[in-house]
Amino acid sequence: MAHDTHHHKESFITKYLFSQDHKMIAKQYLLTAIFMGAIGITLSALFRMKLGWPDERFPLLESILGSDAAPDGLLDSNWYLGLVTLHGTIMVFFVLTGGLSGTFSNLLIPLQVGARDMASGLLNMIAYWLFFLSSALMAASLFIETGPAMAGWTVYPPLSVLAEFQPGSGLGMTLWLLSMTVFIASSLIGGINYIVTILNLRTKGMTMTRLPLTIWAFFITAILGVLSFPVLLSAAVLLLMDRGFGTSFYMSDIVTSSGALDATGGSPILYEHLFWFLGHPEVYIILLPALGMTSEIISTCSRKPIFGYRAMIGSMLAIGFLSFIVWGHHMFLTGMNPFLGGVFTFTTLLIAIPSAVKAFNYITTIWKGNVIMTPAMLFCIGSVSTFISGGLTGIILADSALDISQHDTYFVVGHFHIVMGMTAILGMFAGIYHWFPKMYGKSMNKRMGMVHFWITIVCGYGVFLPMHFLGEGGLPRRYYENTNFPMFDHFLDLNIMISIFASVGVIAQVIFFFNFFYSIFRGPKSSQNPWNANSLEWTTPVEHVHGNWIGEIPTVHRWPYDYSKPGKDTDFVPQHIPLDDNEEEH
Amino acid sequence: MEIKFIIIITVALFFIALVQLMKIYDLAAKVRGEKSQEKVSRSENMLMANLMLVFMVVFFGFVIWLISKYGSNSGLYTSATIHGREIDELLMFNWWIILPVFFITNTLLFGFSWKYYHREERTALYYPHNNKLEAVWTIVPAIVLAFIVIYGLMTWNKIMYNQEKGEIVEVYGYQFGWIVRYSGVDNTLGKADYKMVSATNPLGVITESTIKDTYIEIDQRVNDIDSILSNNINDDGEYLLPESKVDKLQEELDRHKRRKYRIEASIDRKENNVNVYESSNDDIIVQEIHLVKDQPYTFKFRSKDVIHCPWFPHFRAQINAVPGMETSFALTPTITTAEMRADPDVQKHWENINVIHNERKRRIGEEEERVLFDYVLMCNKICGAGHSNMQLKVIVETQEEFNNWIENNGDNKRLTFSGQEVSWSKTKEQASL
Repeated sequence: MAHDTHHHKESFITKYLFSQDHKMIAKQYLLTAIFMGAIGITLSALFRMKLGWPDERFPLLESILGSDAAPDGLLDSNWYLGLVTLHGTIMVFFVLTGGLSGTFSNLLIPLQVGARDMASGLLNMIAYWLFFLSSALMAASLFIETGPAMAGWTVYPPLSVLAEFQPGSGLGMTLWLLSMTVFIASSLIGGINYIVTILNLRTKGMTMTRLPLTIWAFFITAILGVLSFPVLLSAAVLLLMDRGFGTSFYMSDIVTSSGALDATGGSPILYEHLFWFLGHPEVYIILLPALGMTSEIISTCSRKPIFGYRAMIGSMLAIGFLSFIVWGHHMFLTGMNPFLGGVFTFTTLLIAIPSAVKAFNYITTIWKGNVIMTPAMLFCIGSVSTFISGGLTGIILADSALDISQHDTYFVVGHFHIVMGMTAILGMFAGIYHWFPKMYGKSMNKRMGMVHFWITIVCGYGVFLPMHFLGEGGLPRRYYENTNFPMFDHFLDLNIMISIFASVGVIAQVIFFFNFFYSIFRGPKSSQNPWNANSLEWTTPVEHVHGNWIGEIPTVHRWPYDYSKPGKDTDFVPQHIPLDDNEEEH
Repeated sequence: MEIKFIIIITVALFFIALVQLMKIYDLAAKVRGEKSQEKVSRSENMLMANLMLVFMVVFFGFVIWLISKYGSNSGLYTSATIHGREIDELLMFNWWIILPVFFITNTLLFGFSWKYYHREERTALYYPHNNKLEAVWTIVPAIVLAFIVIYGLMTWNKIMYNQEKGEIVEVYGYQFGWIVRYSGVDNTLGKADYKMVSATNPLGVITESTIKDTYIEIDQRVNDIDSILSNNINDDGEYLLPESKVDKLQEELDRHKRRKYRIEASIDRKENNVNVYESSNDDIIVQEIHLVKDQPYTFKFRSKDVIHCPWFPHFRAQINAVPGMETSFALTPTITTAEMRADPDVQKHWENINVIHNERKRRIGEEEERVLFDYVLMCNKICGAGHSNMQLKVIVETQEEFNNWIENNGDNKRLTFSGQEVSWSKTKEQASL
């Protein structure tokens, strides 16, 4: 367990590229995620142009995407689906799974549990470079002549199997599957490392019930990932075999323009089961880290202990467990046995209970607090709001009977973008603003952070709230244009409004990118504990050192939420301060 | 090219300007003696707190505006089916629970953020837990959810376990459209198989004659390929065609032979049972869906190529069409197209739609037209480039109108699958067998 802390000279390559230091790897993840995020949100702004102004020609589209994708500035309908598919894939996997968990699990797990580094620095480095490779493959698929994968981020077969069904199911789909296979390897290696580190490398006194909620969130997230990603891997491998080796796991009774295919006996429904067995836990793989960081930041910035610490852990465990037995709610209308539909409705609605507990605990933490409105705190408040708003519409979609009239409409798009997309993105921004000083030893500009928050939350709700009403009007998602049906004409102006909010929201992220990169190089030097927080990462020096602490690793004597504890001189008591005589822990 | 160059220059200049502005800002902050970016000043805290309140008001206002403008007037009106009305009621029940919770919790969140913003002289309350309170907000949601679950499952079971009693109509999805088959007097669809699908038999219906036709078609193609191959061979037994072409032809040849073998082995059962294919004789294949008001229907769905999802928004009905399996959905339409068009709300709405529709037509230089309300079938599962235009008109009408439509195809009599003139004597009572 003893770890050498002597300093050996490092070359540029070992320090910045093939680093095994968890802090550097966290920054590598973050930069990759920011790069992928920029691609992901740009794609959404581009296809929103088509949806908002279906008849306009945008020379901009042609100059960005090329003349195959947007001849004369009019987006091609196959490429529209390609942009939608890559937007979903990039945001879900590369920004909010790889990026979010990769950045903050790596940064915070060793620092907050009191470890010199991850259990295996080498595996950690390998995980990052696999992530980088898969990101590069996915981004590269945008540059193929026939376009990227176009079957939606769920890539249901048979659509994703034959290039005859859509051009993106050729090389684009192959790259998608290769990229995802590498990505899954990366997240499995990363996940195992996180779990081992949390279980084995906690410092003296750091019992499981003294862990910050961030660590609990990363811990449960890693377990979910390790248990569910292998299933996606098997789905992807079988799909590769159906595409390349003539098997028929997912194919049966299919007629193409050249006649009936040989494939018999398979079923696309098998793929859907395998996909969603990952796909639903994936939602919580995305959400839990954001909620964990939100817990930490809300408590710190409200100068008040998180309300119901144990209930928060319990509800995360409950959500984690339940997330494995609800995947069928994505498949109510596949023709599966109605009895199963009923079971999945029941288990899905159960998730609302721990979620409600979490939401109320956040609100109670703010109640009678002393709330410092740092940019991170603003993003956390926004994140709780979207968690509530989006979670509530989930009650409707969980109901199999209601799903008959809501399934795959814009109601679904609005719902999951608010509850999963916005909550996680806002939580991720909160984490970046809050732990930026820990990552770079500099502070980000607070005013720009505040402006960034307000534009983001206004545009986010401005985009996704109206979508619920498009869905109530029966408008299906993934439509290239809505003008083929006069019954949707009264939504023309609503779609323009959504597109305007979307473009403004995307352009506003420039404020963040600028603030982020400017502060890395020119930001003012931060102090050691800028937010007067309790957890261990703020006891490390501002300048990064190999092994995190220069001397001994501090011993932990209390939970991390002793804010405004009566009888103390300061409104915070860090975890390594021993209890006074007769002081109760909490 | 020049435009791109100018754009790049402009963006670069913009960033340089931003960097300079930031420098000035930092310098000014230093001169003013502000400590750092880490401490949020009292006035900033207050401003953010007030903005929380402003945001909440605007946010709620936006939601209420959306509800008033689109909530009761979504464009789908009252459901036109029996089960659809139950879905709508269940939905309203859910909204009445969800919306109050939405407003209350968001008010608490933004309200507390506003009220308890940071002031040096205040101290936060040390309040780590309260088991009673936590029990309350575990148990109360659980009870409310119990009502939602029970009501929801009752509705679900009622709809889904009611699947086999109406007149059977088949809808067959393909990239990118639908074909419809009525089951005729016997209310039984003739058997179909994907291996039988061809240009003349788009649904792959199995009859003695379609099997014969398929054999002829396959044999012809096999002969064609054989003759192409044998005509392009030289004396040394080498093909004169490019290798890839030969491979392709041989592959196709194998496929046709396999198809014929599979039809012989698994479909061609005529010898065993003389009547096995008779149920298709009275089937009727059409390109439009007509339904009789108050008549129960059982739709059967199949797909030719990829997963489609037939979606009848006005009927609140959808289920996937999956290649390799048959799915079904039962519904009973209750409002005819004519009745719907005569409804004052619908009329008002469609007047508005006509205005918007023709404004757009003028803008893009197309001829103006008068659009009327119609029920419609569309695709709701991503299926490729034409996904957004897989539409089929659906008409609900009286029995007489229906009989007239199904017996006549314009000036001609409509023919059944076996070539007989359609004679639809069914009334509602007879049909719900």
